[in-house]
Amino acid sequence: MFDKEKDLIDALARRQIGRREFMRRAGQLGIGAAALSGLMGQAMNRALAQNGDYDWKQHQGTTLKLLLNKHPYADAMIANLDSFKELTGMDVTYDVFPEDVYFDKVTAALSSGSSEYDALMTGAYMTWTYGPAGWIEDLNSYINDPSKTAASWDWEDFLPGLRASTAWDGMPGSELGSGDAKQWCLPWGFEQNNISYNRPMFEKAGVEAPADMPALMAACEKLKGANGDVYPIGVRGSRSWATIHPGFLSGYANFGEKDLINDGGMLKAAMNTDGSKAFHRDWVKMIQEFGPKNWSTYTWYQVGTDLGAGASAMIYDADILGYFMNGGDNAEAGNIAYAAIAPNPEASAPTPNVWIWSLAMSSFSNNKDAAWTFMQWASSKEHALFGARTMDFVNPVRASVWKDQQFLDRIDAKYPGYIEQFETSAPGAKIYFTPQPLFFDVTTAWAAMLQRMVANEIGVDEGLDQLAESINDQLSQAGLQ
Amino acid sequence: MHHTTTGEKILRGVLITLALVFFLFPIFWILLMSFQTNAQILRIPPSLFFEPTLINYTSLITGELQTAAGSLKLEFMHNLWNSVILSTGSVLISLLLGVPAAYAFARYKFRFSEDIAFTLLSFKFAPPLLVLLPLTLYFQAIGLANTYIGLIWVYQLITLPLILWIVRGYFEDISPDIEHAYRIAGHSWAKTFMKISIPLARPGIAAAGLLSFIFAWNNFVFALVLASADKQPVTVGALAFVTASGIQYGQIAAAVVISITPTLALALFAQRYLVEGLSLGAVKG
Amino acid sequence: MRRKRRNWLPYLLSLPALLVTIWILIPFFTAVYYSMMRYRLSLPHLKGFVWFDNYLQFLTDARFWYTVQVSLTYTVLTVVIELVLGLGIAILLQRSTRFNNLAAMLLLLPLMVAPALAALMWKLMTNPNFGILNYFVSLIGFSDFRWASDPSSALFTVILVDVWVYTPFIMVLLLAGLRSLPKQPFEAAALDGVPKTFVFFRITLPMLMPYILTASLFRMLESIQQFDIIYAMTQGGPGNTLTVFQVESYLQFFQFTNVGRSAALLMVLWAITFFLSNVFVKNWLRLRERAHGVEAE
Repeated sequence: MFDKEKDLIDALARRQIGRREFMRRAGQLGIGAAALSGLMGQAMNRALAQNGDYDWKQHQGTTLKLLLNKHPYADAMIANLDSFKELTGMDVTYDVFPEDVYFDKVTAALSSGSSEYDALMTGAYMTWTYGPAGWIEDLNSYINDPSKTAASWDWEDFLPGLRASTAWDGMPGSELGSGDAKQWCLPWGFEQNNISYNRPMFEKAGVEAPADMPALMAACEKLKGANGDVYPIGVRGSRSWATIHPGFLSGYANFGEKDLINDGGMLKAAMNTDGSKAFHRDWVKMIQEFGPKNWSTYTWYQVGTDLGAGASAMIYDADILGYFMNGGDNAEAGNIAYAAIAPNPEASAPTPNVWIWSLAMSSFSNNKDAAWTFMQWASSKEHALFGARTMDFVNPVRASVWKDQQFLDRIDAKYPGYIEQFETSAPGAKIYFTPQPLFFDVTTAWAAMLQRMVANEIGVDEGLDQLAESINDQLSQAGLQ
Repeated sequence: MHHTTTGEKILRGVLITLALVFFLFPIFWILLMSFQTNAQILRIPPSLFFEPTLINYTSLITGELQTAAGSLKLEFMHNLWNSVILSTGSVLISLLLGVPAAYAFARYKFRFSEDIAFTLLSFKFAPPLLVLLPLTLYFQAIGLANTYIGLIWVYQLITLPLILWIVRGYFEDISPDIEHAYRIAGHSWAKTFMKISIPLARPGIAAAGLLSFIFAWNNFVFALVLASADKQPVTVGALAFVTASGIQYGQIAAAVVISITPTLALALFAQRYLVEGLSLGAVKG
Repeated sequence: MRRKRRNWLPYLLSLPALLVTIWILIPFFTAVYYSMMRYRLSLPHLKGFVWFDNYLQFLTDARFWYTVQVSLTYTVLTVVIELVLGLGIAILLQRSTRFNNLAAMLLLLPLMVAPALAALMWKLMTNPNFGILNYFVSLIGFSDFRWASDPSSALFTVILVDVWVYTPFIMVLLLAGLRSLPKQPFEAAALDGVPKTFVFFRITLPMLMPYILTASLFRMLESIQQFDIIYAMTQGGPGNTLTVFQVESYLQFFQFTNVGRSAALLMVLWAITFFLSNVFVKNWLRLRERAHGVEAE
């Protein structure tokens, strides 16, 4: 690397110059964007090495293998991986699998006890299976051991809701992050569920981003027909847990409703309360009148595609889904804006349920300490900054990154409302599910019941009573009741 | 068969046209999509008219995908190569094992013959899921996990029963008289088998080989569960275009087109055996 | 005469195939063992041997019986439709002309698209906004047809895709069969002026029967174990409309990590498949015996 570039990037890393100035000077030196991100990764490394509180070279010569999901977060990490190798003298190989089959691959690999992979990407919900099954390590022993973890890594910098949401003591129904909870994974990037909407379409219909459920329904009413065949709101509807966890559960939790209640060590379905029934009625009506026609086949992809292609006016889903649809070759790129929503008019703040892409360590790994070195690096401030400033690693889990002006400026310029949306709802952002080993059974049954309600095969009240009954059955069969 | 009325001819033509439209329209549409960007595919309403682009093919072949999230590396051509190795290897081995076995079942009544034949067929009954997971454990133990050989071995469950049972039917339809005549002329059994029996059953062998190749090619659960990323076939590789930032329909369409090509080439090669039916009718006499 | 003396040749020819595949019994019996366990990966402390509890639970489980019912419905409908269409097309293309051979080759194309990808493409083509098929049906007046997303049309849609993918399989086997039939009976019938329907039902169909049985046997084996198309298009929904065996056991294993129940479900599927195949093979052998009556004695 040439010294001029090196100095320039170091200056940026030390915040001696601003991003604009940096880009101007980089342009003068003739550095392209791709080269820039590589150079910046190296600059981050120097910053890490300079902290001097961790011997990055201690596992020199070790080779690690990662199991990764095809995702922009993984792409950002891979883009920076050379600098990790340089920093540590370790080698890292990885298997990337498409998201469609990723968790099947994880289950197959871990259930066979294979020592092939040292660390892997996971979602927090999945650790409710992997943890009790004995497939992944409790990371507390690493985090709390000063000899294994750099002080500057700063665990306290991770958003508290996320730290808690990725920790569980393994007792069905106990609170996430409670006293002796095990830290099953490190939060890496996360998604809050809020409104992403098409600004021109909203303007044409003369509506504002809705702040609660009544406003949402009123806005949908106005949006219907205001833009030709565009339907007002997209939400997921496939027969899967993925239908329950985004907008639906975020709204549900905002009314104080629960999936299950822990009644003195006994888990019980709580979907058939009056409040839950009222919320379900609204939600079903919203889909029937304002949702996509093929709702019951809608996954992340269809919800996003429709917003990006201008088939829907808004979505109540992951903020980053709306983020993706505002770029690339999407027809509506540049038209998307973001807003937090607290569906309950009485609620003081939004309560987005979150999806947390996390890093976990395989219990079958033969290189656990080396794997921890990698996990520390991948979840470091420095890598998070690298990803947030130059890649699509834009929902960082660290409070400090959300204060990084360069990152904030970059997002604010092109993604109106994204930062506000984050700041408004972050305090209430956590996992609102009850952690328990039947998570996927319960949410799949729930989604299937929603589908039947939307298809008018069954009434909401009757459906929820049936659902609660069948879930209670399953819980007792599994010995949880 | 040869005296058809005009009405029949027209009816025949109409029916064939209908069949072609139903079965080929989606293929035609996929082909069109492979020359479009995602933005062109996702138009409301869909349209036949667009400015064709080769971007999907170039990104697949060069292994660079330009997305909103920057440039991504693709392993598609490597996946394609894996598919070629796995499918070709499996079918060759199945032919080697299956054709003689099929001949044995067709020509000889021996003790347990039907039991062995049915057992071989029954390997097709076991739902893949049922055996795959225990299999991962055993494969790890004996070091076959993540090898082409291990995978080709498992692929025998797809290809072997199909080849065996289809080819068996063809052998049974060939009269043994010709073989007798050839044997009586002083030729060895092996020579008779190679020179007479196999050529006569060639349409069946071609059909069975082609079909089992297709089924091996289309499989993905075996490799997904048993092998790591560098051994994955195109079926898994093509799913990489289902990305968090959207489904890249253009690339999937191009991937489908590219992944059909080797199979289609094989089918064209096999065609003369496959559809000619040879002169079997005469032989049967 | 060649069957009179002990002949090792057939064993030599057939046993290698058996030896290469017989090892599958090891994981198979492991799975049988799992199916008799209370075994959820997420609840390891409850793991234990429970004999036939998993199976006994099925008896009173309405969802299970629905799975049996919908799997069989799907199998019967797809096999019958594909058989009728495949046979029809094979007969249309029977004469070996340049056009017919080309058409036969082109008709194989759907089979060459991996079902999982085919389903993805069909999902797009039936999308209410961007889908070309949806556009076509809206042009002829069905503006609100919801394909796989409505309980009333979901089965129809997945069967449509299955028919599209697999009819060519039957077609190619029957076409090869038709073309290898001896010509004499047909020539004789034509000379005698026998009506064509009579020829079809009394000569063509019986002679083709072994091929029809083989083709439908393999279709049946695939169809009752259908997963790719149904899972990619509906994940078993809407509601529980399409919870066929493989979808249900896939969810039980990979999502719910309920190994015991998943294995038990698959064992039931295996038993059904075994039974149906036996019926097919018995009939096939009977037909063969009849066709080659003299030689088989």
